[in-house]
Amino acid sequence: MTHPLLSLSGVRVVFGEFTAIDGIDLTVDEGELRFLIGPNGAGKTTLVDVVTGRTRPTSGTVTFAGQPIHGRGEHRIVRAGIGRTFQTSVVFEELTVLENIDLAAHFRLGPLALLRRRRGVTPTVGGVLERTGLAPLAGAPAGTLSHGQRQWLEIAMLLAQGPRLLLLDEPVAGMSHTERERTGELLTEIAADHTVVVIEHDMEFLRRYARDVTVLHEGRVLTEGTVSQVQADPRVQEVYLGRSQRTATVGDERDTLVPAANNEEG
Amino acid sequence: MTAEDTRATTRPAPTAASAAIPDPRPTPLARARDPLTVVALVAAALLVLPLFLDQFRLNLFAQYLCYAIVAIGIALAWGRGGMLTLGHGVYFGLGGYALAMHLTLARVAEDPMAQGGLPDFMVWSGLETLPLLWRPFANPAFALFAVVAVPGLVAALLGWSVFRQRVRGAYFAILNQALAAAFVILLVGQQHLTGGTNGLTDFPTFAGNDLYSPEAQWVVYVIVVVTTALVYLMFRHVAGSRYGSLLVAVRDGEDRVRFLGYNPTWVKTLAYALSAMAAGLAGALFVPVMGIISPEMLGVVPSITFVLAVAIGGRYSIAGAAVGAVVMNAAQTTFSESFAGGWIYLQGLLFVVVIVFAPRGLAGVVQSTTAALQRARRARATGGTPDSTHRTSDTPQGTDASGSPR
Ligand SMILES: Nc1ncnc2c1ncn2[C@@H]1O[C@H](COP(=O)(O)OP(=O)(O)OP(=O)(O)O)[C@@H](O)[C@H]1O
Ligand SMILES: [Mg+2]
Repeated sequence: MTHPLLSLSGVRVVFGEFTAIDGIDLTVDEGELRFLIGPNGAGKTTLVDVVTGRTRPTSGTVTFAGQPIHGRGEHRIVRAGIGRTFQTSVVFEELTVLENIDLAAHFRLGPLALLRRRRGVTPTVGGVLERTGLAPLAGAPAGTLSHGQRQWLEIAMLLAQGPRLLLLDEPVAGMSHTERERTGELLTEIAADHTVVVIEHDMEFLRRYARDVTVLHEGRVLTEGTVSQVQADPRVQEVYLGRSQRTATVGDERDTLVPAANNEEG
Repeated sequence: MTAEDTRATTRPAPTAASAAIPDPRPTPLARARDPLTVVALVAAALLVLPLFLDQFRLNLFAQYLCYAIVAIGIALAWGRGGMLTLGHGVYFGLGGYALAMHLTLARVAEDPMAQGGLPDFMVWSGLETLPLLWRPFANPAFALFAVVAVPGLVAALLGWSVFRQRVRGAYFAILNQALAAAFVILLVGQQHLTGGTNGLTDFPTFAGNDLYSPEAQWVVYVIVVVTTALVYLMFRHVAGSRYGSLLVAVRDGEDRVRFLGYNPTWVKTLAYALSAMAAGLAGALFVPVMGIISPEMLGVVPSITFVLAVAIGGRYSIAGAAVGAVVMNAAQTTFSESFAGGWIYLQGLLFVVVIVFAPRGLAGVVQSTTAALQRARRARATGGTPDSTHRTSDTPQGTDASGSPR
């Protein structure tokens, strides 16, 4: 039972003079685990931004479960069933780990239900806490978490949302080796019963956990295939050669939502 | 209230290394502690204070409580929601005028000398019939409803249209100021409808009772005390609910909240409208307490004063803000009695000191002190040194330590 859950057709994104995405067609089937790779600036994050409503495509269409979603507000796209994480993790530092996850899990509640007193830990939230290993930290303010824990909290919040499609933007960036491994296992687990798109640079990680890979380069799809097919592709090698040092860099300022929001507050 | 409030902005401490998910529910005793404290304070205000304060001072205290109600609302919208509400005089005024209009009509109805059943200022302005705007206010139930509904509605409309456009920070604050300025101009300009600069005053009766009798003043006092307590408990509940967390999340990362599936527009609008309703209620209570409502009580300067009191009391703490309002207004009275005019400088100085040294206000100082005492006690109990690696719930939050106003 594979039919496209997400499909992009002819998507272009132009920032002023600069074309970040230059006509991308892409389909992701129900139940798929798709890796999206490409050198810095290839347009991977921009693609996720387009799907999740953060950036409007200059032209082209995005269809999710048969419905066109481009041009909808961010929260409405979440309500349609698409969730994402951010390249630079963004969590609510003054809220506890539990509160962060709890909010993510309850966006379907109406204002009146949200105003009621929170009673205990709901099964969804409890399950996510256990699954991500964050249970011992449930009461800690998210601001006290380590880098890796924050990335996990993002994943936990994404899981708690219960989306049909999960988009993870470099979930293991900056993680230690053991943290990467645990994240990889978690990812495999999630992918068993979800449709997942993962952006990842790390070739080692890719070899271990990826099935199907799409390679982006300068705003276009360079090639698609299995990990070994893609790795054997001379164009992919060329794109990545000489860039291997740069691909290690992480941290894209544009992804830092919380500080940006903070600065604007009077 | 202050001691209780250490719990207002704090969270359960991490359960040290236990694998079980801590139940976020406070124990029944802890949950009951807050309302119990409030009941105790209400009892003290009603039974003990009258032993020490004369009628005049008691009336002043009721006034301060009105400002405390405004402060509670601002603490939610500003402290939790990050909306710098610099124009709450408008909502205070809307509530105040709504009730004052009714009281004016009630007086006129009982006054056989009143020409055509009109208040004096309307007669002087040449009106012959009661303006349409005034008519429904003859009904006390309508007036009481309008006291909260009108401010709530105005704030909701304004908030919705402004927040939808993602206007925030300084722009929002300036917009609020402009609103307060415009409101005063409107009130003064529409003399035939509002009584102009004089405002509305002289309300001898409410629902057939003499408002100036000591008994009536006592009833007003009781109503003010009880209302303050109820408003406090209600806003505490809101701040502690899931919505309260959501509001903080919107404050700290409005754009991120969208990706959690929430629309920040309604989240902010609700907090703003709730705080406007509290201000409206406060304005209405203020009318029988003071016996007057006039434009000078709700313009730009009073609006700023409301916010100053909250900043000094502690904007992240609902109780801190309320106490701040009472303390600041009491200080103003005391100070003005000896040095007329000096207060404004002292207030400004206090504000600067708080912003620089205690951005979390008096409530923050109380919280840090309590936390330090608790740590010391724990250290003594365990016989070790204070555990500095174990971050407790009472640790001041990093963002506040920077002192950057939010
Ligand atoms: N809002 C924007 N305004 C202008 N240029 C932008 C904007 N967003 C992205 N870009 C540019 O578009 C290009 C693609 O960016 P994008 O973040 O999608 O790359 P990426 O593939 O995610 O790279 P990385 O691996 O570094 O995360 C970059 O050159 C970036 O500078
Ligand atoms: Mg990126």
